[in-house]
Amino acid sequence: MLEMLGLYPQWYVPGIGTAWVMGIIGTIHVLASHTSVGAAWLFALLAQKSVSENKPEIMLYLKKYGMFLLVFSYIVGSITGPGIWYSVTVASPRGISGLIHNFVWLWASEWVFFFVEVIGVYAMVYLIGKIDNKTYLKLAWSFALASWATMILIVPILSFMMWPGSDHWYNTGSTFDAAFNLNYFAHLGIRTAFMFAVAGAVGGIIAATLKDRATRIEITRFLSKMGLAGLFLMLVMFMWYTATLPDNARLIMETQMMPKYGSTLGALLLATLVYFIFTAWKPMYLRQSIAVVMTLAIGLFGLWPEERSRESMRKPYVAGQYIYSNQFFSRDVPGKGVVSDMPLIEARGVLATNYFVPENLRKITPENQLRAGEVLTKVMCANCHSVESNGALRPLPALFGHSDEPKMIQAYLDGALYYGKIPYMPKMPLPEDERAAIAVYIASLSGAKAPRVAVGHAAQDIDPSHAKGVN
Amino acid sequence: MDVASTAAMLHTLQDPTGIPSHPLIFQVLMVFTWVPHILFVNISLGAALMGLYAFSKRQDPHWQLLSEAMTKVAKVGVSLLVVLGVAPLLFTQTIYDPQWYASNLLSASWVIGFIFTLTIGYLAWFTFYLKNHGEHAPGWIFWLGAFGLSMFLLDGFIMHILAYQGLQPEKWVEWYTPGGHVDMSGNRIHAYELVRWGFFMAMSITVFGAFMMAYGDYFKVRADRSPAYLAFARRLGSQIALVGAVAQVVLLLGWMLDVPAALKIWTHPMSWLLLLYLGVLVAAFAVARGNAEGQGYKLLTMSIGMAGLVAIFREVLRMAYMAPFNYSVLDYKVLWDVPSFVLFLLTIVGVGGLMGGFIITLVYKAGRVQGVYQADAVVSRLGIGSVAATALWVASFLGMGIWIWLSNNG
Repeated sequence: MLEMLGLYPQWYVPGIGTAWVMGIIGTIHVLASHTSVGAAWLFALLAQKSVSENKPEIMLYLKKYGMFLLVFSYIVGSITGPGIWYSVTVASPRGISGLIHNFVWLWASEWVFFFVEVIGVYAMVYLIGKIDNKTYLKLAWSFALASWATMILIVPILSFMMWPGSDHWYNTGSTFDAAFNLNYFAHLGIRTAFMFAVAGAVGGIIAATLKDRATRIEITRFLSKMGLAGLFLMLVMFMWYTATLPDNARLIMETQMMPKYGSTLGALLLATLVYFIFTAWKPMYLRQSIAVVMTLAIGLFGLWPEERSRESMRKPYVAGQYIYSNQFFSRDVPGKGVVSDMPLIEARGVLATNYFVPENLRKITPENQLRAGEVLTKVMCANCHSVESNGALRPLPALFGHSDEPKMIQAYLDGALYYGKIPYMPKMPLPEDERAAIAVYIASLSGAKAPRVAVGHAAQDIDPSHAKGVN
Repeated sequence: MDVASTAAMLHTLQDPTGIPSHPLIFQVLMVFTWVPHILFVNISLGAALMGLYAFSKRQDPHWQLLSEAMTKVAKVGVSLLVVLGVAPLLFTQTIYDPQWYASNLLSASWVIGFIFTLTIGYLAWFTFYLKNHGEHAPGWIFWLGAFGLSMFLLDGFIMHILAYQGLQPEKWVEWYTPGGHVDMSGNRIHAYELVRWGFFMAMSITVFGAFMMAYGDYFKVRADRSPAYLAFARRLGSQIALVGAVAQVVLLLGWMLDVPAALKIWTHPMSWLLLLYLGVLVAAFAVARGNAEGQGYKLLTMSIGMAGLVAIFREVLRMAYMAPFNYSVLDYKVLWDVPSFVLFLLTIVGVGGLMGGFIITLVYKAGRVQGVYQADAVVSRLGIGSVAATALWVASFLGMGIWIWLSNNG
């Protein structure tokens, strides 16, 4: 048997691509999960305050907030957590597989914390007033620490996705070398700061409904201070974070992300700052609707750009700077025995080496060129690009200026892309006939009726409707 | 696809990174972490169905109480089954990665649908729970609960499909490229086995019945729970469990008949052990039917044992399906990573044992007391151990991290 690639079937989502599916689920999850971790600390701090200052009314707030938290954070958070995993499984199977095989024991450790956290939240909510204070505080502090531990354990994996930061891991293959990468502590710092800020905002949703004036003022001010501390810490950590990014990520951040999202994020930061200062100054003015809007704004204008940026800044990789976003291994990893896919692609192409290609497309002919081009384009490009002209995910026709000229498109494939000279694009050393097929297909998306690039030596008319076989 | 090509494909699809410990460790963990997951699946489905049925008879105070209690059980149960499902899934993706990923990709839309249907199903159930209080609870909420339950059943079916499709690697390429055309939509369900899915549904009836008997025994010490109500719950539980266990025997036989004869599942000792155990369970439930009081914990423990055997049987079956392709997890490439394995062991023993033990003991003891529970010496010490273990864990992990970070990047 000839050497083959370990590619899985492809899932293609028209218009938004799998990246947006991951992004949408990820944004909901990050909002819910960070709120829950922040709220765990809020619970512990307020419970401590309630007991040491003998203010049982604070416990009433915790009971009310806890019920809300159960729905908002633990139901949505605990389902969308595996939800991210599921969406990544179908969007980037080799990416998530690489991460699981590197970090399985860290993930299993996180599961232990995750389990005690979920049973803990029920105990926290239902045992308020039903157990003695001392025991409740032990529960609250265990819960806060365990919640933060879930973050401490997931950040190694998220930061490794950006890059290992040095060559150690490539040679040792050690899980801890991968986990404590250059980006880890700064990344953990940002998320820790964010959890306090978002918990401050979400806490306001319930604080605004409290009947007792003194308690409402006290808790709202507490939330404001927590939120402000989180915001300032986040700013400091962001500066450190950017200093720990690889060159390709910094380039994308500066040239693409900041122009696109910079003003939105700046405005949101300012709005959040004003919100917390105002609620600290005039706590009784806080309305539930305002807190809801603030929370939604953080999700829509803060987390969505953040999730999209993090995904973009990793380009062209999806994990550890060894797995490209289109699922190919970009390099050897001696410490793990991983071998780059690039030489095989260069020698034999993708159609002949991918198990999930029908026999009638393994060899490109004039008759199947367009269909082969479609399969190749989706395998090579669809993780990051829509093929529809009006697609939301960096649509290919638009990026090629809606060109219907295959030669122009192929020039790009033959040059910069073939040699991997574009910092945010995977190297694609495909054979001549596969590049030609991709060019013909992309040109057909902008209305090309006939390919101008020869298959072998015979130029043929191709009807784009032949591509209908690929859904 | 022929057997040799399928075998080659499976080995090519295995992650080249290898696994960081002996495959047997992952296999054992995969099988036994699945047990609590499926038990909570069973209890939640049974409780949801009973919560709804009892709601329709809520004019009777016993049924009304039962409806409220079981609605709450299903609410807690679903969130626990989700979290408990993470571990077996993680270990499956570690040693059966080709099967899991390929199956998921082939029905990807259903995988994503699972997330959204589970979320809205759970929110619907939660709303049903919030409104299901007192005999005057509005009748329309029944449909909210029914919607929630139907979503849970759909999600169970999706999980069944993903597991079952993974067992037939020789058909993957054909499913993906029907008639020579590539189908990247992920919209199709390619294979299911109703009798297998039915077995797990019947198992829900058995386990839930045993759970209800234990529920009746647990609250015996609470003065605010009437003995008549608890006897009612126990009696109902014993009847339900018997029906479930008999249905399991029938469906297991049907399942074994449906498995390709070439896999020789009838001659495997595990099949007969499971059948025998189910027979004993049927007898135990039949005996307990007349006198259920005090039998709950014993029968629930026996049901947990049954779940353990089902977990092993399921893995034996998977190994049989994979054997023709020479796919054995024991052949997986191993690159030992001892430090991270030790971290897991310390976490599960230290944090899982102390914090998990603290919370479970606390909830168990507080639940049996009317009014405020004053922690006894054991719970108090467990509480201190819980805080100390989590704090020590955080400090050690970050401390080790700083040292490695400085060594690698300093």
